[in-house]
Amino acid sequence: MYKLTKNLRTNEVDSIIKEKDGVFLAIPFDPDNTDYQAYLKWVAEGNTPTPADEPN
Amino acid sequence: MAGKLIVDTIDTDNAFITLNVQQSQIATMNVSGIYSNTGVKMIGANGTVSNTAITGLVTASQIANVANTQLTGTITGSQISSNTLSNTVFQTGSVENYMNAQGLGFGMRNRIINGAAVIAQRGTTFSGLSDDGGQYTLDRWKWAENGTFTGVQTVTQDTSAPAGFSYSLKVQTTTAVAVATSLSCRVEQFIEGFNWADMGYGTANAKTTTLSFWVRSSLTGTFGGAFRNSADDRSYPFSYTISVADTWEQKSITIAGDTSGTWIGATNGTGLRVTFSLGAGTALSGTAGAWVAAGTQSVTGAVSVVGTLNATWYVTGVQLEKGSTATSFDYRPYGTELQLCQRYFYRLVNASASTGYVPNITGVRYTANEVYLGITCPAPLRTTPSISKSGTMYIYSGGTNITLGGVVAVTSNYNSYTSCPNVRVTATSITSNTGWICEFDINAYFDISAEL
Repeated sequence: MYKLTKNLRTNEVDSIIKEKDGVFLAIPFDPDNTDYQAYLKWVAEGNTPTPADEPN
Repeated sequence: MAGKLIVDTIDTDNAFITLNVQQSQIATMNVSGIYSNTGVKMIGANGTVSNTAITGLVTASQIANVANTQLTGTITGSQISSNTLSNTVFQTGSVENYMNAQGLGFGMRNRIINGAAVIAQRGTTFSGLSDDGGQYTLDRWKWAENGTFTGVQTVTQDTSAPAGFSYSLKVQTTTAVAVATSLSCRVEQFIEGFNWADMGYGTANAKTTTLSFWVRSSLTGTFGGAFRNSADDRSYPFSYTISVADTWEQKSITIAGDTSGTWIGATNGTGLRVTFSLGAGTALSGTAGAWVAAGTQSVTGAVSVVGTLNATWYVTGVQLEKGSTATSFDYRPYGTELQLCQRYFYRLVNASASTGYVPNITGVRYTANEVYLGITCPAPLRTTPSISKSGTMYIYSGGTNITLGGVVAVTSNYNSYTSCPNVRVTATSITSNTGWICEFDINAYFDISAEL
């Protein structure tokens, strides 16, 4: 459901992708963003996101 | 001269009476008491002036002052006929001063955005709404549910509306479900703290608040809703009655502001939730008319729209304002209303009939497999948005046209005054470091959401 993504320049995770019905939603690490709040709630419920792909 | 004039007592030390009474100005004058040269102290034996006692013109010099409490009754509509108050009846600023003293505003009174259901950036039909936590529909209006929700509803922008309005938000139940204890569904709007802080909720200065709206339903009876805080631990259930099926009715609900609890102040968080319940279980229902330390969403025993297959519920003309009076709907220019919505959601779409250049996106190479797109939004966003992409898009430069893949990340230079989010999107063979323009196929779009 959620997958982390890495910044290919910094090699640091800097965003979250949520997939639903084939639509990909990029979510920022912003505590005021309600999609990010929903992600944190989902993690708090014991879920784990898919790790980010490693750069080629 | 018609009628008669009787002088009953005269101040003999300063016996001085000047009468300048013209025919028809005073039909009957019954005077008693002592009079000075400053004017009449009392008119009529019982101190009243009947409707027809003065038929002529009373000029400003005839009545020097009327003390605050001289008019104790009601001046009915027929006492002052239309278009008879001259420009000087109210001194400049008198009405404004009164409104200000009462804490009432003139412009932008309505804290609800898109209360007339006019703005529909996401589309006009949202079907299959069910157990997914909720979804925004018409701008600023969220359909939401609690619990394991098995009912299904459709929200549409409908042209059924009362006089003065063009659209309404319509909900129709396509799969009915009985509302279990902790189950609910609803239509609601979250009001940003910056637009609510002056109401003083959570303090001793909490302001009286009035919600008004037009509503119709295929069902009749008592319906419910609630005002709720962001933490959902303070709520005020309210009820309203729909008397006749499929007929527009206007409702008004006035509540005392909440002096307790924690309410977000002047921030970009949720200042207030305004909830119209479409069905709520007993755990989420309460008694109308009082603040409670719980997250109730409706009133006990309210009609359940989701409980009846094909039941409909419409709303429009929703207004939430300071004060105890529901004033006329605060019509705002379309462009203003649209920009108010776009602080929370912006669909950047190619609505033309062909693939086209999108002027408010520029791209640069980020890596060989990613392009970095900067988007200029029409309104400052509430916060860093989430961004999704739909349809086929391209970047173009120097005769090279590259198809974009999926969104990878979103960042923003957000602050309180500007917002130009940046989104990284996959692509291939981005070998050039030149700038890129962006093109969308027909109906391709980015959804940029900073909703509450």
